Amino acid sequence: MTQSNIPVDLIISKMAEASEKAQAKARKGSEVLLKDLDTEIAPTPYETVYQEDRVKLKYYRPEGKPKFKTPLLVVYALINRETMLDLQPGRSVVQTFLDNGLEVYMIDWGYPTRKDRFLGFDDHINGYMDNVVDFIRARHNLPKIHLMGICMGGAFSVIYSAQHPEKIKNLVTTVTPTNFDTDKGLLHQWMRHIDPESLVRTHGNLPAHVMNLGFLLLNPARLMLDKYVGFFENMDNKKFVENFIRMEKWIFDSPDLPGAVFEKFIRDCYQQNLLIQSKLTVGGKAVNLKKITMPLLNIYGLYDHLVPPEACDKLTAAVGSKDTEDICLRTGHIGIYVSSKTQREFAPKIAAWLAERDAQRKRTAKPAPKKAPKRAARKAPQTRAAAT
Amino acid sequence: MAEKRSPNADESDMYAQWTETMTTMWGSMLSLWLPGGSRAASAAAEDPPQEDRDTRKRMRASIEAALKNWQALSGAMSAPESLEAMFKGAGAMPAVLTQLAQTSLQGFLEMQQKILEQAGRVGEHVDAYTFADIDENLFRTWTEIYEQEFSRFFQIPKLGLVREYQERISAAADGYNRYQATLNEFLRMMAIPIGRSFTVLQEEVAVLAEKGELPEDGRAYYDMWIKILEGHYMTLFQTPEYPESFSRLLSSLSAFQSARNAVIEDMLSGLPIPTQSETDSLYQEIHRLKRRLRALEKEKA
Repeated sequence: MTQSNIPVDLIISKMAEASEKAQAKARKGSEVLLKDLDTEIAPTPYETVYQEDRVKLKYYRPEGKPKFKTPLLVVYALINRETMLDLQPGRSVVQTFLDNGLEVYMIDWGYPTRKDRFLGFDDHINGYMDNVVDFIRARHNLPKIHLMGICMGGAFSVIYSAQHPEKIKNLVTTVTPTNFDTDKGLLHQWMRHIDPESLVRTHGNLPAHVMNLGFLLLNPARLMLDKYVGFFENMDNKKFVENFIRMEKWIFDSPDLPGAVFEKFIRDCYQQNLLIQSKLTVGGKAVNLKKITMPLLNIYGLYDHLVPPEACDKLTAAVGSKDTEDICLRTGHIGIYVSSKTQREFAPKIAAWLAERDAQRKRTAKPAPKKAPKRAARKAPQTRAAAT
Repeated sequence: MAEKRSPNADESDMYAQWTETMTTMWGSMLSLWLPGGSRAASAAAEDPPQEDRDTRKRMRASIEAALKNWQALSGAMSAPESLEAMFKGAGAMPAVLTQLAQTSLQGFLEMQQKILEQAGRVGEHVDAYTFADIDENLFRTWTEIYEQEFSRFFQIPKLGLVREYQERISAAADGYNRYQATLNEFLRMMAIPIGRSFTVLQEEVAVLAEKGELPEDGRAYYDMWIKILEGHYMTLFQTPEYPESFSRLLSSLSAFQSARNAVIEDMLSGLPIPTQSETDSLYQEIHRLKRRLRALEKEKA
């Protein structure tokens, strides 16, 4: 009779040991969960200086005198919330910009409701965004401002810069999809099979829970299972629990996506890839990428599963600008903003790149007419009643 | 010599006897109850007022007319040729039911065939990260059977005044069934990697056991499994079937919700509440006006 190679006794004793450890962890974990936890997100103070319908403009002022002549406008995607750029102390892109002396404005798109279902690209880009840009230009008495876009907000920023180049001094795009003709990301493959009209006809806006389900299904083993196993294993670590809950809060703090935006994004971008070919039209006008002549910094993540490098790296060759730079960081779609490693290279690089170009001021366009006195506007947000 | 009887002869006789008995019984009962009948006669001394007398007279006349109609009708119905026609008509109903049963049986047999085919594969080696035989999905078969066979019962044309409402209710019921079918199909597809990952894990563990390299830590087995599972999902997601199934699920959900909303809007239309279509139309109008205002503002600036 041959002896078994399986060390059954050892395995059983290890299992018993693991079971004891798990029980101890659960006991300590429950103590951590019952204590006061600091899970606040977006802790950096700001003022709301402008509001139009559901859209707000946040203003972040650096400590002391700003070191930049030109402020930066950050345009986040309509998917999830801009709070990701200011997730927590020590992991805040906004705070890094402020530490570098840069004044930051950030659009908060709010939570679209059923009445926003007809608001499309034109309403968001040539309506809200253009009004915000004009407001900042007037407030700082400047002809141009710096513009930074994130993901879909990056695509909006590219479109805006192509249609209003006279108002943008420098353009920064981060994890911005512009080339949709790639099979690298599952999202790109799946979106070809989606019928956006039928979803919009039924739901009005694309419900956030449908979007979130889609994102979770990109990697169900990790995102729906392993992630929570990891949480259980670390639930006795207060710091870990706080960071985990912050991220959970951000991930599931999802506004619905306005129906008309979703429809155009899927049909014109994902399914027909019009943007990178300069064939897209917004508000009846062509989006000619060659009109983007301002300096362009394009940053993306090597391991981005939502917007893979192939979706981002064609932009610099397609624009009219001669001052362009591509940076591919070894990180993912969200990690680029929140990982401790990229905190040291991502935001500081943008600040340095802008600083180099901020000094080269050239007034080529007239500043927008002042709409509100600078100080008064900071005390009470300026609001627009209607036009989008 | 045995008397030659039609198949419905017994039922006809029974029906004729029953109608005759019922007519006689109700005739007698009514003549007792009605004013002027023998029971009423005992109370005649009370001499009701004129208005009451008129009402009773009218009531008696209508009931007598109804009774006569019933007698005429039941007499006509008791005639052998009428009874035969009636039973023939009733026979048509089971024909519809038979057709439905046949459809169900056919679907069931097709499903069973697929199950048998799949059962034949039990015990076969599972190739990791391949989904070549993904078409074994039984729920897809069921969806197809439903779409081809059962769904048409909901498409039967509706008639009459409330035709549109009936159509919308049928569409909602059909939409719900289609959504359930595609949901099952999708969930079944999502379950494939789980089943296969366990099988592959067992095979990998067996190999390690043979080599005497089994990990002692339980976590190592979990890590192995989650890696295999992730790999299987990634492979599944790359198949052409997956996005099609996901797309079918979303489309069927949208179709069902639209059909359900239409039924709800029918109900709401009778209440003093605006429907979603009405508010949508209003939002669209506001949107148009705002765009015009924006254009005018820009023009003016």
